[in-house]
Amino acid sequence: MTKVKVATIWLEACAGCHMSFLDIDEAIIELADKVEFTRTPITDIKDFPQVDVGIVEGSVGNTEEEEVLKELRAHCKILMAWGDCACFGGVCAMRNTFDKEEVLRRGYIETESTYKGKIPCPPGVPALLDQVKPANHVVKVDCYVPGCPPEAGAILYALKELLAGRIPVLPSDMMRFD
Amino acid sequence: MKEITLTVNGKQVKGKEGDTVLEVCEANNIHIPTLCHLKGLTDVGACRMCVVDIEKERRPVPACTYPARDGLVVQTHNEKLEKYRRLILELMFTERNHLCAQCVASGDCELQSLAYEYQMDNVRYPYSWPALPVDSVNDYLVIDHNRCILCGRCIRTCDEIVGVHALDFGHRGWKDMVIADLNQPLGTSSCISCGACFQACPTGAIFSKNSAYKGKPQECQKVNTICPICGIGCEIEALVKDNRLVRIDSPDITGKRGILCDKGRFALLSRKDERVKSALVRNGRGKLEPQPLSKAIDTVANKLARLKAQYGSNGIAGIASSQASTNSLKAFKELIAGTIGSDLIDTLDGDTYRTIIKGINGPRAQGGLDIETSLEEILKADCIIVVGANPLGSHPVAGSYIARAVRGNKAKLIIIDPAQNAFPYHATLWLKPKEGTEQLAVNVLSKAVIEKSTKKDSARTKEVAASLKDINVKQNSKRAGIDSDDLLEAADMLSKAKHNIIVYGEGVLQHKNPGLITSLLNLATIVSSQDKERPQIISLKPKGNSRGAWDIGIANSSQSIIKNLTSNNIKALYLLLSDDYVDASELPNLSTGLEFIVIQSSYLSSATSKADVVLPSPIWTEVGEEYTTLDGIAKLTSPLVKSSDDIKADAEILREISQQMKK
Repeated sequence: MTKVKVATIWLEACAGCHMSFLDIDEAIIELADKVEFTRTPITDIKDFPQVDVGIVEGSVGNTEEEEVLKELRAHCKILMAWGDCACFGGVCAMRNTFDKEEVLRRGYIETESTYKGKIPCPPGVPALLDQVKPANHVVKVDCYVPGCPPEAGAILYALKELLAGRIPVLPSDMMRFD
Repeated sequence: MKEITLTVNGKQVKGKEGDTVLEVCEANNIHIPTLCHLKGLTDVGACRMCVVDIEKERRPVPACTYPARDGLVVQTHNEKLEKYRRLILELMFTERNHLCAQCVASGDCELQSLAYEYQMDNVRYPYSWPALPVDSVNDYLVIDHNRCILCGRCIRTCDEIVGVHALDFGHRGWKDMVIADLNQPLGTSSCISCGACFQACPTGAIFSKNSAYKGKPQECQKVNTICPICGIGCEIEALVKDNRLVRIDSPDITGKRGILCDKGRFALLSRKDERVKSALVRNGRGKLEPQPLSKAIDTVANKLARLKAQYGSNGIAGIASSQASTNSLKAFKELIAGTIGSDLIDTLDGDTYRTIIKGINGPRAQGGLDIETSLEEILKADCIIVVGANPLGSHPVAGSYIARAVRGNKAKLIIIDPAQNAFPYHATLWLKPKEGTEQLAVNVLSKAVIEKSTKKDSARTKEVAASLKDINVKQNSKRAGIDSDDLLEAADMLSKAKHNIIVYGEGVLQHKNPGLITSLLNLATIVSSQDKERPQIISLKPKGNSRGAWDIGIANSSQSIIKNLTSNNIKALYLLLSDDYVDASELPNLSTGLEFIVIQSSYLSSATSKADVVLPSPIWTEVGEEYTTLDGIAKLTSPLVKSSDDIKADAEILREISQQMKK
């Protein structure tokens, strides 16, 4: 049996969703029989193979994240969003009520612990977008597992649904935004 | 009410004429999601979550405002309606900054629950991310406009239930916002901090500083009890987690005695006064030092027994705060008047009792405090006279009843008070008698009412009329410093109204003038409708259990004992304060000439530092005891949290002292 190929990316987020995924504990053994993880923050593989399922954790807040997400979308058949950041913008989107310049100034110059700070701008450092966006405001997303982080059970449920050939929609009692 | 039959989702259901479609569905256990609807408030159809299809209506209509009719065919759930509801939720989430993971209400939020119910796992519309202010100026409440969905439940609660109407919508359209008064911080507005808006808020837009992040309701134990703080006897539902009080709610804000005030809902949670944690006894060096409770009780019993032997029973006086429970006060009476046998027993508010009772029983010997009416009568009134009282400050729930009657019943509100209070902007008429002429003003008003009256005079009225025969309305109103036209207008309002009620308070009682009470009672007698058994009058008493204390006859002394400590050869004083915070400034002559002072109190204060023995009292949340409301209803509280082992119920300690003394 050929394994289902999965790639995951970690954009603007805390990695909590990936941690929560690892919390599925022994179920991961069963999963490993059916699924092949290619590029993930855990495997540390950098290039994108063509995969069946792409998974995105995190929101889109800078040009690099936008590019990586678009690339994943181009390389996967089904794209799943994990966590409040990817589904709604989440914690990262708190900066959206401020100007981008204001945010950079606060972060690099005005923080209480900063002495003679300046906003870094060497070439190659991705520029902040004006606003942090959820994944579906950048590319088409097929299914969602919200939560901050989503519970391991919800992640496992969504993966099992995908393996069974269905597009998962979390039942109400698995829905969580916190 | 006529019964009607509707078809809902293909089934026949019954309802009453005048119900809305939502009410009929709720009565028949048909669930329709709602957000801006709160039972007991006027429905406005603001959120559109409750949209339903109705045959012959071109588009979905809100069930909460659609009148149910006989033969109506209603569809509450179908694919289209569910699609609309989810769409509304998505629009609400994009309109403001709803970040559940950082929200104080997460897990206790109606918006979030509906999003779960409708499996809203993403939002298709662009977010607005408006930059909105957070108002935290109020002592207890925070308004976070980021979480507001503009359902208006807070506004309608403040208006219809509390009667204060401090909140309303400000600005227009996209910039619409809940504002206080003319858009000022809540803490500087006419808000009375009762917290009803906080309880009515379906999201985390209005929250309490003292309850935030202490525990979610589902993690807490709910205990129903009575708030004994001011004598209204409001019902409360307390949330308790790990022996800590998390939040105080009303079990039903739109129900009977359902609103709370800042004192009941918030003050306790933010109270910083230091507790008496164990018994304190003055040592050889004159310092108060902690001692085991049993030892302190021995000390008190032995000392009191010795002083009694030396100076006689009346060498010892007992004074209690009327904030103490009836259980505590009964045990106190048993110790002071029974075991010790002293005649010198009184409450701190004894003078107030003596004034009222003299005023009531004076000229026409009536039945004591029982002649007073019940608080709920205020809600039915169409004309209210408030005399020397600031109910919104002293008894906010009574104040809110008055404000509600003024707004809801269009009741006329007449204020008789030389001083400014919180009501003038609600008042129809404000009569300002010169200081010291209050009684005259009330008498002139009574006379004016009698002269105006066309009703057949009852025996009661004739009796009052006789007592006022020397009063001349024109001349005497001038002497009282009141414009006679104003006075006649007030008399006119009183004669036209069907249900008059008089509420008086501290401003009247401070004069210690029983005559003024008699005059008020006379006025109440002639303006109360004939079908009422009792004159419609009620006094706002100073402490939470004043009525209970007075009813058990603890304040029957002929004069104030606390004021006459020095003149009575008193050598020892037992002061029961319970959870009343009493300062030494309220207790004149506390240390002069006294050999021994015992204070039983929950809180350390400048008074307890003058005591020879301080015994610890629990606070009302730690015991289940009886209190009597200011209109005479005895109610039992339930303990919410456990006190430390070094603290026992007041009555228990008092009985132990009694027993020790009898040995």
